[in-house]
Amino acid sequence: MTIGLTHYLLLAAVLFAIGMFGVLSKRNIIAVLMGIELMLNAVNINLIAFNRYLPVHDLSGQLMALFAIAVGVAEVAVGIALAFRIYHDRSTINVDELNRMKG
Amino acid sequence: MSELAGSAVFFALAVVIIGTALGVVLNKNLVHSALLMTACFIGVGILYITLEADFLGAVEFMTYSGGVAILIVMGVMLTHRGEGVPSNPFNGRELFAAVLAAVFVTVMGLVVTFIQIPPGGGFVSGDTVADLADMMLNTYILPFEIAATLLLAALLGAIILAKGDGEA
Repeated sequence: MTIGLTHYLLLAAVLFAIGMFGVLSKRNIIAVLMGIELMLNAVNINLIAFNRYLPVHDLSGQLMALFAIAVGVAEVAVGIALAFRIYHDRSTINVDELNRMKG
Repeated sequence: MSELAGSAVFFALAVVIIGTALGVVLNKNLVHSALLMTACFIGVGILYITLEADFLGAVEFMTYSGGVAILIVMGVMLTHRGEGVPSNPFNGRELFAAVLAAVFVTVMGLVVTFIQIPPGGGFVSGDTVADLADMMLNTYILPFEIAATLLLAALLGAIILAKGDGEA
Protein backbone atom coordinates (compact mmCIF):
# COMPACT_ATOMS: atom_id res chain seq x y z
CA MET A 1 0.00 0.00 0.00
CA THR A 2 1.51 3.30 -1.08
CA ILE A 3 1.18 6.30 1.18
CA GLY A 4 -0.17 9.23 -0.84
CA LEU A 5 -1.59 12.68 -0.41
CA THR A 6 -4.95 11.27 0.76
CA HIS A 7 -3.42 9.68 3.86
CA TYR A 8 -1.72 12.89 4.94
CA LEU A 9 -4.89 14.94 4.34
CA LEU A 10 -6.97 12.50 6.41
CA LEU A 11 -4.45 12.56 9.26
CA ALA A 12 -4.44 16.37 9.20
CA ALA A 13 -8.27 16.46 9.18
CA VAL A 14 -8.41 14.22 12.27
CA LEU A 15 -5.78 16.32 14.06
CA PHE A 16 -7.68 19.51 13.18
CA ALA A 17 -10.94 18.01 14.50
CA ILE A 18 -9.25 17.02 17.79
CA GLY A 19 -7.93 20.56 18.15
CA MET A 20 -11.37 21.98 17.36
CA PHE A 21 -12.91 19.71 20.00
CA GLY A 22 -10.39 21.05 22.52
CA VAL A 23 -11.09 24.69 21.63
CA LEU A 24 -14.85 24.26 21.90
CA SER A 25 -15.04 22.09 25.01
CA LYS A 26 -12.35 23.37 27.39
CA ARG A 27 -12.84 25.79 30.24
CA ASN A 28 -9.22 26.79 30.87
CA ILE A 29 -7.87 29.48 28.54
CA ILE A 30 -4.49 27.71 28.22
CA ALA A 31 -6.20 24.46 27.19
CA VAL A 32 -8.01 26.46 24.49
CA LEU A 33 -4.62 27.76 23.30
CA MET A 34 -3.32 24.17 23.11
CA GLY A 35 -6.27 23.26 20.90
CA ILE A 36 -5.44 26.18 18.59
CA GLU A 37 -1.83 24.93 18.37
CA LEU A 38 -3.03 21.47 17.32
CA MET A 39 -5.20 23.04 14.59
CA LEU A 40 -2.26 25.14 13.31
CA ASN A 41 -0.10 22.03 13.08
CA ALA A 42 -2.78 20.18 11.13
CA VAL A 43 -2.82 23.02 8.58
CA ASN A 44 0.98 22.92 8.29
CA ILE A 45 0.89 19.15 7.60
CA ASN A 46 -1.52 19.91 4.74
CA LEU A 47 0.73 22.63 3.27
CA ILE A 48 3.83 20.43 3.33
CA ALA A 49 1.97 17.40 1.93
CA PHE A 50 0.64 19.56 -0.95
CA ASN A 51 4.21 20.69 -1.66
CA ARG A 52 5.36 17.05 -1.74
CA TYR A 53 2.56 15.49 -3.82
CA LEU A 54 1.00 18.16 -6.08
CA PRO A 55 2.70 19.30 -9.29
CA VAL A 56 4.54 22.43 -8.15
CA HIS A 57 7.94 23.75 -9.20
CA ASP A 58 9.35 25.26 -6.01
CA LEU A 59 9.11 25.06 -2.22
CA SER A 60 6.29 27.62 -1.85
CA GLY A 61 4.21 25.22 0.28
CA GLN A 62 7.02 24.74 2.76
CA LEU A 63 7.64 28.50 2.82
CA MET A 64 3.98 29.18 3.61
CA ALA A 65 4.19 26.60 6.42
CA LEU A 66 7.23 28.46 7.74
CA PHE A 67 5.31 31.76 7.79
CA ALA A 68 2.36 30.00 9.46
CA ILE A 69 4.73 28.70 12.16
CA ALA A 70 6.05 32.24 12.75
CA VAL A 71 2.52 33.63 13.09
CA GLY A 72 1.49 30.74 15.35
CA VAL A 73 4.42 31.25 17.70
CA ALA A 74 3.73 35.00 17.96
CA GLU A 75 0.10 34.17 18.74
CA VAL A 76 1.09 31.79 21.55
CA ALA A 77 3.39 34.39 23.12
CA VAL A 78 0.64 37.03 23.15
CA GLY A 79 -1.97 34.48 24.28
CA ILE A 80 0.07 33.28 27.26
CA ALA A 81 0.85 36.89 28.25
CA LEU A 82 -2.89 37.69 28.07
CA ALA A 83 -3.76 34.62 30.15
CA PHE A 84 -1.18 35.59 32.76
CA ARG A 85 -2.50 39.17 32.88
CA ILE A 86 -6.11 38.03 33.19
CA TYR A 87 -5.15 35.64 36.01
CA HIS A 88 -3.21 38.41 37.73
CA ASP A 89 -6.19 40.80 37.61
CA ARG A 90 -9.13 38.45 38.26
CA SER A 91 -7.66 35.22 39.74
CA THR A 92 -9.40 33.07 37.14
CA ILE A 93 -8.71 31.93 33.60
CA ASN A 94 -12.08 30.25 33.10
CA VAL A 95 -13.33 31.48 29.73
CA ASP A 96 -16.97 31.16 30.89
CA GLU A 97 -16.44 33.71 33.65
CA LEU A 98 -14.60 36.24 31.49
CA ASN A 99 -17.52 38.24 30.16
CA ARG A 100 -16.61 41.77 31.17
CA MET A 101 -14.30 44.01 29.18
CA LYS A 102 -13.85 46.34 32.13
CA GLY A 103 -11.85 45.25 35.18
CA MET B 1 12.95 3.55 1.81
CA SER B 2 10.91 0.60 0.64
CA GLU B 3 7.18 0.94 0.24
CA LEU B 4 6.32 -1.30 3.18
CA ALA B 5 8.68 0.51 5.51
CA GLY B 6 7.25 3.85 4.38
CA SER B 7 3.71 2.74 5.18
CA ALA B 8 4.79 1.32 8.55
CA VAL B 9 6.49 4.61 9.49
CA PHE B 10 3.46 6.64 8.41
CA PHE B 11 0.96 4.55 10.38
CA ALA B 12 3.17 4.45 13.48
CA LEU B 13 3.47 8.25 13.31
CA ALA B 14 -0.28 8.59 12.76
CA VAL B 15 -0.99 6.49 15.87
CA VAL B 16 1.46 8.57 17.93
CA ILE B 17 0.10 11.92 16.68
CA ILE B 18 -3.60 11.08 17.05
CA GLY B 19 -3.07 9.30 20.38
CA THR B 20 -1.13 12.14 21.97
CA ALA B 21 -3.51 14.77 20.53
CA LEU B 22 -6.45 12.90 22.09
CA GLY B 23 -4.49 12.80 25.34
CA VAL B 24 -4.04 16.59 25.16
CA VAL B 25 -7.77 17.28 24.98
CA LEU B 26 -8.98 14.47 27.27
CA ASN B 27 -6.44 14.61 30.10
CA LYS B 28 -7.64 15.95 33.45
CA ASN B 29 -4.26 17.37 34.43
CA LEU B 30 -3.13 20.38 32.41
CA VAL B 31 0.60 19.70 32.93
CA HIS B 32 0.16 16.20 31.49
CA SER B 33 -1.69 17.76 28.54
CA ALA B 34 1.23 20.12 27.91
CA LEU B 35 3.79 17.29 27.99
CA LEU B 36 1.64 15.14 25.67
CA MET B 37 1.46 18.14 23.33
CA THR B 38 5.27 18.12 23.17
CA ALA B 39 5.18 14.45 22.15
CA CYS B 40 2.54 15.27 19.53
CA PHE B 41 4.72 18.02 18.04
CA ILE B 42 7.75 15.71 17.93
CA GLY B 43 5.60 13.24 15.96
CA VAL B 44 4.53 16.01 13.57
CA GLY B 45 8.18 17.05 13.13
CA ILE B 46 9.16 13.50 12.16
CA LEU B 47 6.22 13.46 9.76
CA TYR B 48 7.65 16.60 8.09
CA ILE B 49 10.98 14.81 7.69
CA THR B 50 9.25 11.85 6.00
CA LEU B 51 7.69 14.45 3.63
CA GLU B 52 11.21 15.56 2.52
CA ALA B 53 10.92 18.80 4.52
CA ASP B 54 13.90 18.31 6.82
CA PHE B 55 14.43 21.99 7.62
CA LEU B 56 10.79 22.41 8.66
CA GLY B 57 11.12 19.29 10.81
CA ALA B 58 14.01 20.92 12.65
CA VAL B 59 12.03 24.17 12.96
CA GLU B 60 9.10 22.22 14.38
CA PHE B 61 11.30 20.55 17.00
CA MET B 62 12.88 23.84 18.04
CA THR B 63 9.90 26.22 18.06
CA TYR B 64 6.97 23.97 18.93
CA SER B 65 8.31 21.11 21.01
CA GLY B 66 10.94 23.41 22.53
CA GLY B 67 9.67 26.96 22.79
CA VAL B 68 5.89 26.71 22.72
CA ALA B 69 5.77 23.72 25.07
CA ILE B 70 7.97 25.46 27.67
CA LEU B 71 5.93 28.65 27.33
CA ILE B 72 2.71 26.71 27.90
CA VAL B 73 4.09 24.76 30.89
CA MET B 74 5.17 28.10 32.39
CA GLY B 75 1.70 29.50 31.73
CA VAL B 76 0.12 26.48 33.40
CA MET B 77 2.31 26.83 36.47
CA LEU B 78 1.84 30.60 36.78
CA THR B 79 -1.95 30.25 36.69
CA HIS B 80 -2.17 27.23 39.01
CA ARG B 81 -5.15 27.34 41.38
CA GLY B 82 -3.75 25.05 44.05
CA GLU B 83 -4.31 21.38 44.90
CA GLY B 84 -7.77 19.91 44.60
CA VAL B 85 -8.95 22.24 41.86
CA PRO B 86 -9.23 20.32 38.57
CA SER B 87 -6.78 22.07 36.27
CA ASN B 88 -8.34 21.10 32.93
CA PRO B 89 -12.13 20.76 33.21
CA PHE B 90 -14.67 20.55 30.40
CA ASN B 91 -17.18 23.39 30.05
CA GLY B 92 -20.30 21.26 29.59
CA ARG B 93 -20.46 21.60 25.80
CA GLU B 94 -18.29 18.59 25.04
CA LEU B 95 -21.15 16.66 23.37
CA PHE B 96 -21.77 19.56 20.98
CA ALA B 97 -18.03 19.86 20.34
CA ALA B 98 -17.65 16.12 19.72
CA VAL B 99 -20.57 16.12 17.25
CA LEU B 100 -19.10 19.12 15.42
CA ALA B 101 -15.65 17.47 15.26
CA ALA B 102 -17.19 14.22 13.96
CA VAL B 103 -19.11 16.12 11.27
CA PHE B 104 -15.91 17.92 10.29
CA VAL B 105 -13.96 14.66 9.95
CA THR B 106 -16.81 13.10 7.93
CA VAL B 107 -17.05 16.02 5.50
CA MET B 108 -13.29 16.33 5.08
CA GLY B 109 -13.01 12.54 4.65
CA LEU B 110 -15.59 12.60 1.86
CA VAL B 111 -13.89 15.56 0.18
CA VAL B 112 -10.44 13.95 0.39
CA THR B 113 -11.71 10.58 -0.84
CA PHE B 114 -13.57 11.86 -3.87
CA ILE B 115 -11.28 14.69 -4.96
CA GLN B 116 -9.19 14.25 -8.12
CA ILE B 117 -5.50 14.50 -7.25
CA PRO B 118 -3.56 15.67 -10.30
CA PRO B 119 -0.75 13.26 -11.18
CA GLY B 120 2.82 14.35 -11.68
CA GLY B 121 4.31 14.22 -8.23
CA GLY B 122 5.62 17.12 -6.24
CA PHE B 123 8.79 19.05 -5.81
CA VAL B 124 11.59 17.42 -3.82
CA SER B 125 14.49 19.70 -3.07
CA GLY B 126 18.00 18.37 -2.52
CA ASP B 127 18.88 21.30 -0.27
CA THR B 128 15.79 22.70 1.43
CA VAL B 129 17.68 25.33 3.45
CA ALA B 130 19.29 26.92 0.38
CA ASP B 131 16.08 26.79 -1.67
CA LEU B 132 13.93 28.22 1.14
CA ALA B 133 16.44 31.00 1.81
CA ASP B 134 16.60 31.81 -1.89
CA MET B 135 12.80 32.16 -2.14
CA MET B 136 12.49 33.98 1.16
CA LEU B 137 15.00 36.68 0.25
CA ASN B 138 13.92 37.12 -3.38
CA THR B 139 10.29 36.45 -4.30
CA TYR B 140 8.84 36.50 -0.80
CA ILE B 141 10.89 39.33 0.70
CA LEU B 142 7.80 41.40 1.61
CA PRO B 143 6.07 38.64 3.66
CA PHE B 144 9.45 37.95 5.28
CA GLU B 145 9.77 41.57 6.42
CA ILE B 146 6.16 41.63 7.57
CA ALA B 147 6.77 38.47 9.61
CA ALA B 148 9.81 40.11 11.21
CA THR B 149 7.73 43.18 12.16
CA LEU B 150 4.95 40.94 13.47
CA LEU B 151 7.37 39.03 15.71
CA LEU B 152 8.81 42.27 17.10
CA ALA B 153 5.33 43.67 17.78
CA ALA B 154 4.20 40.40 19.38
CA LEU B 155 7.27 40.30 21.64
CA LEU B 156 6.79 43.89 22.81
CA GLY B 157 3.06 43.32 23.25
CA ALA B 158 3.64 40.15 25.26
CA ILE B 159 6.12 41.88 27.59
CA ILE B 160 3.83 44.88 28.16
CA LEU B 161 0.79 42.65 28.71
CA ALA B 162 2.58 40.40 31.19
CA LYS B 163 4.26 43.20 33.16
CA GLY B 164 1.60 45.94 32.96
CA ASP B 165 2.48 49.50 31.82
CA GLY B 166 2.61 51.13 35.24
CA GLU B 167 4.84 48.68 37.05
CA ALA B 168 7.91 48.53 34.81
